[in-house]
Amino acid sequence: MNKKNILITCVIMLMGVAGRLNAQEDRNHGIIWSSLRGLEYEIKAGFNVGGTSPLPLPQEIRKITGYKPTICFSIEGNVIKWFDTYKKWGMILGVRLENKGMETNARVKNYGMEIIGDGGERLQGNWTGNVKTKVRNSYLSVPVLAAMKVNSRLRVSAGPYVSYMTSGDFSGNAYDGYLRKDNPTGTKVEFSGDRVAPYDFSKNLRNFNWGVQAGVNWKAFKHLSVYGDLVWGLNDIFEKDFKTISFPMYPIYLNVGFGYSF
Amino acid sequence: MNVRNLITCLFLVFATTSCVQDEALNSEADIETCIVPGDVLNRDPIIENDKITLLVKSGKDVTALAPEFTLTPGATIIPASGKVLDFTNPQFYEVTSEDGKWKKKYEVSVAFAGISNTKYHFENVRFNSKGDYHIFYETDTQGKETMTWASGNEGFALTGIKDPTAEKYPTCQSPNGKLGKCLKLETRVTGSLGSLLDMPIAAGNLFLGSFKVDVMDILKSTKFGVQFSYVPTYLKGYYKYKAGSEFQVGGKPDSGRKDICDIYAVFYETDKDLQSLNGTNVLDPNNPYIISVARVDNAKEVDEWTEFNLPFVFRPGKSVDPEKLKEGKYNLTIVFSSSIRGDYFEGAPGSTLYIDEVELNYE
Repeated sequence: MNKKNILITCVIMLMGVAGRLNAQEDRNHGIIWSSLRGLEYEIKAGFNVGGTSPLPLPQEIRKITGYKPTICFSIEGNVIKWFDTYKKWGMILGVRLENKGMETNARVKNYGMEIIGDGGERLQGNWTGNVKTKVRNSYLSVPVLAAMKVNSRLRVSAGPYVSYMTSGDFSGNAYDGYLRKDNPTGTKVEFSGDRVAPYDFSKNLRNFNWGVQAGVNWKAFKHLSVYGDLVWGLNDIFEKDFKTISFPMYPIYLNVGFGYSF
Repeated sequence: MNVRNLITCLFLVFATTSCVQDEALNSEADIETCIVPGDVLNRDPIIENDKITLLVKSGKDVTALAPEFTLTPGATIIPASGKVLDFTNPQFYEVTSEDGKWKKKYEVSVAFAGISNTKYHFENVRFNSKGDYHIFYETDTQGKETMTWASGNEGFALTGIKDPTAEKYPTCQSPNGKLGKCLKLETRVTGSLGSLLDMPIAAGNLFLGSFKVDVMDILKSTKFGVQFSYVPTYLKGYYKYKAGSEFQVGGKPDSGRKDICDIYAVFYETDKDLQSLNGTNVLDPNNPYIISVARVDNAKEVDEWTEFNLPFVFRPGKSVDPEKLKEGKYNLTIVFSSSIRGDYFEGAPGSTLYIDEVELNYE
């Protein structure tokens, strides 16, 4: 509840700043006012490329047979506070709305699986064969970063972030293989050809994620910059009591795009 | 420029941390094949998940058989494959997986040519290894188990019943028999998981034969028939039947139709090519292996115990070869189903068939 309130406050604050900046008459006045206090504002738009993956790959995964990044946009608003008169060291507080997604195909052996039906029916077991996974999660993220200007054009930044998942989809299907019901000695059910076993773990995704990110921002023109941030999740995307996938999975994405600073 | 560097960095990180690890040792503990040296078996052994049935030629000595097994690669078995054992009573083997974490016990038993007991009272059930559904078996007068009935309960288990109890399965025992307990078969909806596997309903069934789930071709999951060394003449017994209210085809209502049960027995010949009939051909009117069929043709909804007495009718031009009969080349199956089209997933959920005091006559 508290976390949510903080997030909402941040959003409102940034929207307020942005709103004020958009008003043309106030603009110059506002920026000069801010600049005198070591404050800068920027907005960024980009996309996420990467994967939601266990690290290192567990023994159950024998081979990644296919990987497809999906189109995942991000928009971000930042407030930068410079601490020294040369504006070398500073801090960035941001709010980012983003999607993180991908599609993979993997060949697995003895991979924990649970299929849950609408009426609460459960089919649990160990799968050997191919698994197709689709991840598409939407997050509201708040990075808090230390920033340093290497020179007048290049800025590097690093620090932690927290994310709140607004919607999540982690689903896919198992095909060309077999399921052992309950455990490796259970009934063997073979699937081949068109017969697939769909699964959906979306309801088991954790709402709160955190991690670290580091990146660079290169000022190409006076207002326009390009940037890249490596955003590395450090807690499992699944809830603690979710045991079907026996290894933790982390979102690791590269966020690249353009920024506009006022 | 920087972006490209970053991407390179990212891939380097992945390359160093995400290498595929060495393959884990196998954790399965299956007997994959079984042979018995010497001219002892009449059919290939029936290998189920935790049970093997050896169909032995009549007159063969079973006190010293040495079955040989192949296992999941790396797995081990005790007693050893090829060890001579006495199969007068079932023998138990334990298979341990390659990684040592999983063990599975197999019961290996001999089925002699012919069914020694042909009166079925449905008084005896035991639970499957997980303990959620009933498996019917019959005993002789000394209480020794003589045969096990097969059912589709194992397939229904795959649809992941919520809080499973034996009574939620399509095939279970009921206390209200004509005499003592009886068999209860009820057509059930399988929920969303069943629909995903194209099995929207499951008719209750019980039959002589074996069941092994085949999701690729569900009709082939039911292997009908056991070795029988006599010529069957009549199938008698008692039933009660209530049709479910809504007939469904492929999970959708079909208001024009009404459900009915099915009771039949098929006597057929086997050879190297055809060791058992399955759901695709057991009722095929043109199957050349089928010798005679007894099938109910006037079943109706009744709430009192009603007798059925079904004669085995020979197919045109078919006769029994006494020599083949002696060699155990014929199979018999008896099948009860709560929905006549249940094997095609057509029927009315709630259709309930009770069966008790069945007797097979033969000469």
